Amino acid sequence: MAAALRPAILRHIRIPVQTLGRSRPLPCLHPLPTSMIRSMSSHGDDHLTREEIVERVLDVVKSFPKVDPSKVNPDVHFQKDLGLDSLDNVELVMALEEEFKLEIPDKEADKIDSCSLAIEYISNHPMAV
Amino acid sequence: MAFSLRGVRVPPNSASLEEARRRTLDFFKSACRSIPAIMETYNLYDVVTVSQLRSTISCEIRKNAHITDPKVIDVLLFKGMEELGNIVEHAKQRHHVIGQYVLGRGGLVQDLGPKDEGTSEFLKQFYASNYF
Repeated sequence: MAAALRPAILRHIRIPVQTLGRSRPLPCLHPLPTSMIRSMSSHGDDHLTREEIVERVLDVVKSFPKVDPSKVNPDVHFQKDLGLDSLDNVELVMALEEEFKLEIPDKEADKIDSCSLAIEYISNHPMAV
Repeated sequence: MAFSLRGVRVPPNSASLEEARRRTLDFFKSACRSIPAIMETYNLYDVVTVSQLRSTISCEIRKNAHITDPKVIDVLLFKGMEELGNIVEHAKQRHHVIGQYVLGRGGLVQDLGPKDEGTSEFLKQFYASNYF
């Protein structure tokens, strides 16, 4: 029964395929125009400006509970000038990671101990947003 | 973020205080990195912020700042990782997390009125918190 039905059904639902005449070349074979925008690319023209990075880093440091906001400037050292300890230092770096959507590897994270180094690292990072 | 925690294990012993210190900081980092997943799992957005939770974790670590024996630090680290693993794997419920880490040890009952004067020390502690 099923064996008899199968060809009968297939005869009705099969799509007739014929080769197209290649009078018009497919658009995807054209070389891409140079002005083509890579819209899905994450590396683009939306790099952060240095002023913006400085401002956001300082905001993060100022909003840290133990920090006196009036002492914060772009050259401040976390442990020497702000009286933080190493755990606070790590906490600040994690806050910066969250702010700029980064994941800073341990070796680099250990070196970041002042605002100027943090600004330097983030401005050189391609994925900071 | 359980996948990132799978790699975190407590190796046998810290040889020196410096190593134990480094491990503590590593643990703090991995805990901080799992906060977004925890916020998502327990739906904590309306009760706490990421930075508050981060401060809570550092407070918990700082409570043991006076300890200088690497072996004791290792045990505490192990406990911390166990706790973090439990939270990340959703072995706890929302009120556990809120009670322990959002409200803190003070709990919901903050101010003791005059009617509490007669109650025993045990009852006061019983009312204050369930978590030790």
